[in-house]
Amino acid sequence: MSEIQSSVPSEKKKRVIVGFVCERSIPIIEMLDAHKALTDDPETKIIILPCSGMVKPTQMELALANGADATFVCGCAMNDCHYRTGNIMIRERLEGQRNPKLRKSTDKRKVGMFFFTMKDKRPFLDALAQFKASTENL
Amino acid sequence: MYKKFLSLTKNLTVSLEKGLNFLTTQENNPLYFHGALPLYTFWFLIFSGIMLWMYYIPTLDRAWTSVNYITSLPVLLKDASGQLLLKNGNPVVSAISPATGIPYGAVVRGIHRWGAAAMMITTLLHMLRVYFTDRHRAWRWLPWVSGVLLLMFMLFVGITGYLLVWDARAYSLVVSTQRWLEAVPLVGQGLSTFFIGGDAIRDFTLTRFFFFHIGGAVFIFWLIWMHFIRLHEPVVTPSRAVNFLTLGFILVAAGVYPAVNVTNDLIAQYPVLAGDKGFIASDAPAQIGHLVDVIRYDAWYLFPYYLIEKLGVNWAWIILGGATILLLVAPFYPKDRRDNIAEVIDAKCTGCTFCSLDCPFEAITMQERAPGSKFKLIAVVFAPRCSECGICVGACPFQAIELPNTHSKTIEADVLALLKTGVQ
Repeated sequence: MSEIQSSVPSEKKKRVIVGFVCERSIPIIEMLDAHKALTDDPETKIIILPCSGMVKPTQMELALANGADATFVCGCAMNDCHYRTGNIMIRERLEGQRNPKLRKSTDKRKVGMFFFTMKDKRPFLDALAQFKASTENL
Repeated sequence: MYKKFLSLTKNLTVSLEKGLNFLTTQENNPLYFHGALPLYTFWFLIFSGIMLWMYYIPTLDRAWTSVNYITSLPVLLKDASGQLLLKNGNPVVSAISPATGIPYGAVVRGIHRWGAAAMMITTLLHMLRVYFTDRHRAWRWLPWVSGVLLLMFMLFVGITGYLLVWDARAYSLVVSTQRWLEAVPLVGQGLSTFFIGGDAIRDFTLTRFFFFHIGGAVFIFWLIWMHFIRLHEPVVTPSRAVNFLTLGFILVAAGVYPAVNVTNDLIAQYPVLAGDKGFIASDAPAQIGHLVDVIRYDAWYLFPYYLIEKLGVNWAWIILGGATILLLVAPFYPKDRRDNIAEVIDAKCTGCTFCSLDCPFEAITMQERAPGSKFKLIAVVFAPRCSECGICVGACPFQAIELPNTHSKTIEADVLALLKTGVQ
């Protein structure tokens, strides 16, 4: 009996993903529950910012260092930042082309970035699911 | 109410662009290069204009002839003996005869003509897009106001271009312009005299129009500088794919519909051209005192004359003046509450310049600290230019610049709190 029990996979471990989302990209306000998690994906917790360019790489590292399984930033569609260059800035910072950058020791596979318009709720959720799947076994 | 309107227009714009993203991807969506496209098309006008300038003669008796000389070759095909072909291979005009025109001159004038249309279309797209997405207000007032002035000068330069060819339409437009200017109280007569360079149309008139056209184009460059001065690293060129798309549009338009003068005289000489009357770029030469019965209006540049003809000079002034004033005041209404302007924490600022380099609206300057300070420079925020975006906060590795209502410490505390509560 105990052998049978051990062969049954235990309930999937719950993960925590921390996302930094620009308030002008995806319609993030309507996508959150009372615990600041996505209603479509309670494992994903969201910090809302005026612009994706405001995200500091150290804040993403802070999330990873304190138990987040992965972290991501979501800004406006590329070439269409409401503040002109915020999404370009954060992309270059996370890609190591602009200061301040991520530390070399940071596992960059756990750091994602998405750029979507306010009409892209579904494409965002699809991209997020793909990102989560890619970080599952890290 | 007005803000709801802007929100609705933004929704519609983003929906439209999302559809286009599906076809072009975000990186090559032409609507994301709406600001760079007018400048890109302006270069076509500059270079084609310089080429036309080489042959243009700004005098009453030579202007039309010189333009006709440039563009009177109706077809560009040559047969084996070097003869140009029109339809069915019939030789029409010799390519090497100086009496008949400049090879490809019609295409160069076509580039000038279609480039001008493209510049106005892309400029209006840019303006509508900026307005509909609510990117014209508050700290963006200077780019908007200089943009309105750019639009006005584009119209001015475009209209003077139509006068330079000095055909029958040009003369009618000059008469309409004089009527329009003379309707201005007190200074109207003076404006009219200034416009034609004297009390009657003479050779000086065309010299003046030529100055207006070239001088106006130079002034456009100055206005473009004003347009960009508050923007950090403005996007001045579209993506390569959008570049080629625009280049293709202008070249194909100029090749398929070159600016050819298929005049009645030419048709009489070469009847085979009768079917190409639609290619007329200019009317017959202007004759002082002879107005055309029906003006051929260009939708993009000559609409003010349509208003003058249909509504009269006073209504034209009211409509055009009113529209200009509304456009000029648009960025100042409605006013948003601005309570999250970036603040520099003096003690932490090392003068590294990252925030100043990354600020998208040139709101941060680096100033020298007092002698004896630990660091040489300090960042200073110019509040009226600050958009409260926080990009400077993201750029600062020393937590030396913050948005007071969205402090980094608060964000970090929120991150830790979210992680502490875990998945509910």
